[in-house]
Amino acid sequence: MDKVVSLRWFLGIFTALFVLFLYGPFIVMGILSFQQGPEGGPQFPIISWSSYWYQHVFGLAPPSRIAPLPIGEALLRSLTLAFATMVVTTVMGVLTAQAFRRRFAGSSVVFYSVILGMIVPGVLLGLGMALLADQIGVARNWWSTAFVLHVVYTYPFAFLVMLAIFNRFDESVEEASLSLGVTPAKTFRKVTFPIIFPGVLSAMLFAFTLSYDEFPRTLFTGGSHVTMPLAIYGTFAVEIHPNLFAFGVLTTLFSFALLAIYGVLLTLSTRRQRLRASGLQEDIS
Amino acid sequence: MRSNKGTWLLLAPGMLWILLFLIAPLLMMVYVSFWTQTTFAIKPDLTVQSWVNFLGSEIYFGALLRTIRIWFTVLVITLLVGYPVALFIGQFIKNKTLQTALLVTCVIPFWTSFLIRVLAWRPMLGKEGAINILLQKFGFIDAPIEVLLFTELSVIIGMVQIYVVFMVGPIAFMIGRIDESLIESARDLGASARTIFTRIILPLSMPGVIVGAIFVTVMVLGEFATASALSGRKVNLLGNIIITQVGSLKWAFAAVAGVVLTFVMAVFVAIMLRIVNLRNQI
Repeated sequence: MDKVVSLRWFLGIFTALFVLFLYGPFIVMGILSFQQGPEGGPQFPIISWSSYWYQHVFGLAPPSRIAPLPIGEALLRSLTLAFATMVVTTVMGVLTAQAFRRRFAGSSVVFYSVILGMIVPGVLLGLGMALLADQIGVARNWWSTAFVLHVVYTYPFAFLVMLAIFNRFDESVEEASLSLGVTPAKTFRKVTFPIIFPGVLSAMLFAFTLSYDEFPRTLFTGGSHVTMPLAIYGTFAVEIHPNLFAFGVLTTLFSFALLAIYGVLLTLSTRRQRLRASGLQEDIS
Repeated sequence: MRSNKGTWLLLAPGMLWILLFLIAPLLMMVYVSFWTQTTFAIKPDLTVQSWVNFLGSEIYFGALLRTIRIWFTVLVITLLVGYPVALFIGQFIKNKTLQTALLVTCVIPFWTSFLIRVLAWRPMLGKEGAINILLQKFGFIDAPIEVLLFTELSVIIGMVQIYVVFMVGPIAFMIGRIDESLIESARDLGASARTIFTRIILPLSMPGVIVGAIFVTVMVLGEFATASALSGRKVNLLGNIIITQVGSLKWAFAAVAGVVLTFVMAVFVAIMLRIVNLRNQI
């Protein structure tokens, strides 16, 4: 038994070190984003603490030789793209998972070809799409060729989430509704959808965040108007400055806000369901 | 009959999307790899010239070998680092809420932009980076370690940090699913901790290892950003070759590199899927 206890300690410490390893760059990024500006570089030591690089990100800093990040336009494009991807992905994911509730011939082929979308490396898919678009004479743009690839990438995630939800789904509720003469469309809206809602939310969160951060697929297909990750990639070639780290901190906060909204919506929906369920029981008794 | 039609109607949008925007581009890539490459353009006259150039060139064949070497190293390290963590989360933490909290803790760094996360390794590993400063402060070393940044090592460190979570998640999930009574009855029958691990936990966690290995493999093989950010362009993976070739309008050549990469990946994933049926694990 002693052995197990010491093993537990060993693994616990190992896990703690692992978490430190995961968060290392994250912490460094946070510290360096407060580097003195504009002379301070993206390295230690901190010359003096300042919020200069945050002002720089928002275009509030006095002009200097360091070009501001193309926040306005690129960010707007990225957000629009992520939103559109989220909508299409979620609808398609729900539809496909709905089809998988029944057994059908060829389901394995369909399953694996959907999964292929998250497995094929982005750079290959981007290359293929760019070649195809050039061949059939379609202009490459972030809202066309890049958008369809973003959906190819996020669709499997939504599909898998919904599949997992439907696998734990009690079909008798739906059947009860249908046998009481409620139309299939209304049954979906009033019965099925509220039950699968947590899954839909997760699928939306996945799709949005994956698309927002996606860049190998966008690199060849995005055309001349860059999205945010492409703009960041552009700075790789030249010198990097702490404004990137400040921007990184800000996007992380933005993602946490999304995560918080997701949490709130999820709690609200489960609470409402619980209320409804308890109300139902009162009616029956 | 009606229900069957309904199924295909539900599937139609997704399948159409996959066919047009996933299958067609990949086929196009294979097709173009046989086109004729001139200095500024590609022509649809079929030839194997790009293939001959690729396989005959030391630079490109070397890049292929380097890609495979780095991928394999990263795969082994993510498994060695990820498995103990997954074991701890899945087996030693009994409280479900704490379990979820730990997994979420591992995922949170993912909510930072991928590219910025990679760049943040530079001030970490550099000659005057955080690690060297700390090591010198505590007297472990006298002179800064220089191999940490702009080498193959830095690329591997960066990749492990980014992708190890994809190994931890599936394994922890499978270990957490193991029925507690199974382990308890083994213990009651006098099995040692080692026997319980090798005979129960390890075999039952294998599907998680396979899924994790597939995730890490496809992501590392398609990589180029980490290599270009952390190696100072010294380490060229096949992914980097594709980027530079497209940059100089050598589309046919980029396509060859792409097909080679797809092939390596497909072989590995096919072998993995022979061992475990992905569909039964959801």
